[in-house]
Amino acid sequence: MTASPAISSRFQLRAFALRALPWMPPILLLLFWQWASSTGVLPGRFLPSPRAVLTSFIELSASGELWTHVRVSTVRAFSGFALGGGLGLILGLLTGSFRWAETLLDTTLQMIRNIPPLALIPLVILWFGIDESAKLFLVSLGVFFPVYINTYHGIQSVDRGLVEMGKSYGLSGWRLYREIILPGALPSILVGVRFALGFMWVILIVAETISARSGIGYMTMNAREFMQTDVMVVGILLYALLGKFADLLAKGLERYWLRWHPAYQPAR
Amino acid sequence: MPVTFSSRDGMASQESTTEELHARGVAVTIKDLSIALGGRTVLQNFNVQISRGEFVAIVGRSGCGKSTLLRSIVGLEKPQTGTIAIGSTAGAGKPDVRIMFQDSRLLPWKRILPNVMLGLDRSFLARARQVLAQMDLADRAHDWPAILSGGQRQRVALARALVHDPSLLLLDEPLGSLDALTRIEMQQLIEEIWRSRRFTAVLVTHDVAEAITLADRVILIENGGVGLDETVYLPRPRTRGNSHFAALEEHILGRLLQRRSPAEANPDLAATSGFDV
Repeated sequence: MTASPAISSRFQLRAFALRALPWMPPILLLLFWQWASSTGVLPGRFLPSPRAVLTSFIELSASGELWTHVRVSTVRAFSGFALGGGLGLILGLLTGSFRWAETLLDTTLQMIRNIPPLALIPLVILWFGIDESAKLFLVSLGVFFPVYINTYHGIQSVDRGLVEMGKSYGLSGWRLYREIILPGALPSILVGVRFALGFMWVILIVAETISARSGIGYMTMNAREFMQTDVMVVGILLYALLGKFADLLAKGLERYWLRWHPAYQPAR
Repeated sequence: MPVTFSSRDGMASQESTTEELHARGVAVTIKDLSIALGGRTVLQNFNVQISRGEFVAIVGRSGCGKSTLLRSIVGLEKPQTGTIAIGSTAGAGKPDVRIMFQDSRLLPWKRILPNVMLGLDRSFLARARQVLAQMDLADRAHDWPAILSGGQRQRVALARALVHDPSLLLLDEPLGSLDALTRIEMQQLIEEIWRSRRFTAVLVTHDVAEAITLADRVILIENGGVGLDETVYLPRPRTRGNSHFAALEEHILGRLLQRRSPAEANPDLAATSGFDV
């Protein structure tokens, strides 16, 4: 009789431990970092203590400066994503669906794909200066290819049997596309989106670090001029958080749009 | 050695009721059909006449062109020469032809009910529910196909075809991937539905026993043409224990196995494979 609550509480403990486990390494690292800073093993010139970073974070957010930079960066990231990802989606659908479009465009796009977007920075600065459009261009270019390639691949790999079945049920044109081809390509498209969302921040960080007058990258670079290591660390950690946020967003989209997929079904 | 069967009692008892129900089924006339796939001739000058409401089973060795024949009837393969006429040439609207494949080909991103209603508008909702209920799947209407068993998926695929109330139903080895028990249940279900609706049915199968259980006529394809065309005069529902059944099965199987050259013949395999050829 007394055994059952003990067992259930042990189960709860296990469940809790499983949930807590992924957070153990960062927490331990943080504790070690704080210890190293406070004992002087780690000089503040190299890396400020976690407490100093937290203080700096509170100060920056209280003054509103931080949020301005975060907002500017986020708007840049997502408008670049919308533009480049949207174009990638449209062109991927086009080359995936129509043989003439594939023949016309795919070779060119595959050539351009091999140029790292960041290699274009000198040219981009020449063309756009350190204007908003420079960042928009670089982010768009960076996210274009993951979305394009995965969309193209997704359309190409739609189950032919399902397309055939749809045709035998009288579906054609847009209806065949909407009911069978697009949903069939969606898992692959979402892989592209997830990859693009990660890459989006990488490109933006570099672009903002090199040429910007606002944004998290600018804030971090500016702090370097004045040796404000705490502000630099705040900026770097912000990128980690925003990246994680973008990843959660992509996961959420997958969980919603692919809820039919066996991989996303609750265990039965 | 031609084998004839004289027991017509089963057919006779149905004769009175079938005449008006025959209205749903359409006749299929295939004339001089030749199809080549990837440079290989699959069917050559193939001729067959299927009557309205008839249940025809097509058997043959793998690659003999039995699936290709079905696919050409539904328009998925283009014949090189020959004609396929479905229904009357008077042209009272296009007859509804539906095909069921070996794999269910349900859309995994649609729940069961929307899958059944593929290509139809909302006015068919009540009918779709009714057909699902007939397949004993009413409670699965809102499930995803991924969580259904193989037999359930095939029943959904059958429901999807039946919602259209087809005048010609083509079955391309629809029970091939099911376990033995589910297969017998599905055979009974298909027979029951065919008897109540009287559409024309063409079943492609590699299982001779299945062909004899279900069909009015068993056609064997060999060398791109009709090798055997046997009418099955057995009362329905048919049982394998029946001696006529066994004799007919042996006759058709014998013809199928005969085609194998001695060099590639494997007596052990033939003995253990049972009814499946």
